[in-house]
Amino acid sequence: MNAWKIAWFEYRRRIRSKWFIIGTFGMPILILVISLGTGYLAGSGAGIETKHFGLIDETSQFGKQLVDVLDQRFAGKESAPFDIAVATGSFQSLQAQYDALVEEKTLDGYFVIPADFVTNASIRNYSRSSATIRSTDIIEAELKELLIKEKALKLDLSDEVLNQIFFDVNVAHFEIGSSEERETEELIADYIAPFIFMFLLFLGIFTGGQLLLRAVLEERSSRVIEVLLSTVSYNELMGGKILGLGLLGLTQSGIYLIVAFFAGSYYDLSILTPAIGLLYFTYFILGYLLYAGIYIGVGALFDSEQEAQQAIQIITFIAIIPMVLWTLVIENPNSTLVNVLSYIPLVTPFFMMIKIALGETSIFQILTTIILMMISVYGSIRLAAKVFRTGILLYGKRITLPEIYRWIKA
Amino acid sequence: MIEIKGITKTYDSIVAVSDLSLTVEPGRIFGFLGPNGAGKTTAIRMLMNIIIPDQGSILFDGKMQRPPSNKIGYLPEERGLYQKISVFETLQYFAHLRDVAHANDLIKSYLHRFDLGSRLQSKVSELSKGNQQKLQFINTILHDPQFIILDEPFSGLDPVNQLLLKEILEEKKQAGKIIIFSSHQMDQVEKLCDDVALINRGQLVTAGKLSSILKSEGVQRLQVTPEKESDLKHSCFSEFQTEQKNGSILIEMGQHSKQDIIALLNKSMDLKSVRVAEQGLEEIFIHLVKGSQS
Repeated sequence: MNAWKIAWFEYRRRIRSKWFIIGTFGMPILILVISLGTGYLAGSGAGIETKHFGLIDETSQFGKQLVDVLDQRFAGKESAPFDIAVATGSFQSLQAQYDALVEEKTLDGYFVIPADFVTNASIRNYSRSSATIRSTDIIEAELKELLIKEKALKLDLSDEVLNQIFFDVNVAHFEIGSSEERETEELIADYIAPFIFMFLLFLGIFTGGQLLLRAVLEERSSRVIEVLLSTVSYNELMGGKILGLGLLGLTQSGIYLIVAFFAGSYYDLSILTPAIGLLYFTYFILGYLLYAGIYIGVGALFDSEQEAQQAIQIITFIAIIPMVLWTLVIENPNSTLVNVLSYIPLVTPFFMMIKIALGETSIFQILTTIILMMISVYGSIRLAAKVFRTGILLYGKRITLPEIYRWIKA
Repeated sequence: MIEIKGITKTYDSIVAVSDLSLTVEPGRIFGFLGPNGAGKTTAIRMLMNIIIPDQGSILFDGKMQRPPSNKIGYLPEERGLYQKISVFETLQYFAHLRDVAHANDLIKSYLHRFDLGSRLQSKVSELSKGNQQKLQFINTILHDPQFIILDEPFSGLDPVNQLLLKEILEEKKQAGKIIIFSSHQMDQVEKLCDDVALINRGQLVTAGKLSSILKSEGVQRLQVTPEKESDLKHSCFSEFQTEQKNGSILIEMGQHSKQDIIALLNKSMDLKSVRVAEQGLEEIFIHLVKGSQS
């Protein structure tokens, strides 16, 4: 009963705090703004400087052709990534002049199309830095096409034949059993949705964990813990805290899932099914409880938040693995590596969430990971209770690992 | 009644409390004294079951089991409050945990009595140290506990509020509550306590009724003021243990009677005044602490 009172107190005082509201609603908005914003910026060409290149054309042919196709290529865009000024002549006679132009930074670099280009298919690039590397890819591709066309012309092929040779491949995407071609939004949603579920899970679990750590440290450093422990038992106190902040995490997740559901249905995408929702909450609760044990244990051992945060960093580092590997999981959800990682309790919820959202898992895997998580949660909470009971009232004392081992064994 | 029987607590090689035995009776105020680091707080935490003693036992009204939380009021040494919530919410939360009936009215009346009525919605962190101590004290007694355990309750309070706190403790004493508090401020203890225990370096130095300790441990001294100041160095004082103090001389009476000493001194000099000077608790405290250390 007291655990519920504590839980309600923790829940109530935090859900009203401005930081919870800012965090809950601000975070998705921030992510949305950043992802849309960066998308817009990348598309707009803002932040990209137009590079200036020289081109010494010893063939007196390909230089002009290249500039023409590049003009076409960049036609629709506000600014081109680079422009090219062509000069016909020999490299020997122009080298000194062009080197000087690069030195005084009038040019970012220059290319040379040698006289034997048609036979050797090789050009040269001179520059001060690596700034030209990305541009080289485009030039290489365009020159290749120009060279093929040149060679095809020499073979005296008709326009009809040429059109048959040069074409773009188009891939149409269908879902199995459906004759309707899928749109790009759908494809992106399929790719991104699993990541979003994992990210929300990550956000919820670690927000709860961090709050738990801070709550323990706050009570410890303000000695409220002593008054509380004169009123309630250790288990009630610890249980109440875990419960209260867990409910807070569930509230937050609930809000996110509702937003995800409505956002999905707005675009006519069914990214959130009842089964996914249910499993999301299952893995959230299990993951949260596992980390709650760790966070409470660490909170009971340190006097200052700074020290505690340093200790917790090691754990957070492990938990970041799914954030780094998510593309791997989405592309290879059933590879051996991913399957092995799915059975490491600290990261199980995150990997499983991606696999579930992709529909790339089995009932067996879901059940076994849930059982594994339950066992891990039991261990984590039990250990935390032992550490909490002994460590929470030891102020100003550096606690060693052998000591913690003794408490756990006791 | 609280009976503490031979409790001991050791941290690594440091003995915080060693074989401490005490009895605290209802309707009396018990002062738990000792210099800083003597083991007072450790002993009180063991009493509160916050720390488990290595040895010994503590009985509340004859039972090993600690009374339920709503029967105990505990004020820890310094702080002990959430800083970011309001005064009212703080008291409400703890009252709720202790199942206090009609808590809101009670909270308001106590806040009013402690002159905090206008600070109901203030955050705890906005209160002065003294006001936080008052809030903490209210939190300790709000549920009208049978056992009141206070660790340094007077720290940070001004004389007016010290008086108010004493007044309330007197009321609780009249109501037959069991009150124990630790302090190193001897004047407070002397004015308030019925019984005292003095500990130093984890060990009990003395314990009992305050009046009997003042009598038995206090050294009786005569304060003698000669007519002529030069007589302060008279050779006749060499027979006694003496101490000079503001133009007079303090003579430890020891085996001698008051009359004997006066008769002896009258032979050698004219006396302006003679009076019996009783040692206060503070002097006894210092004397005993020094004695227990040597």
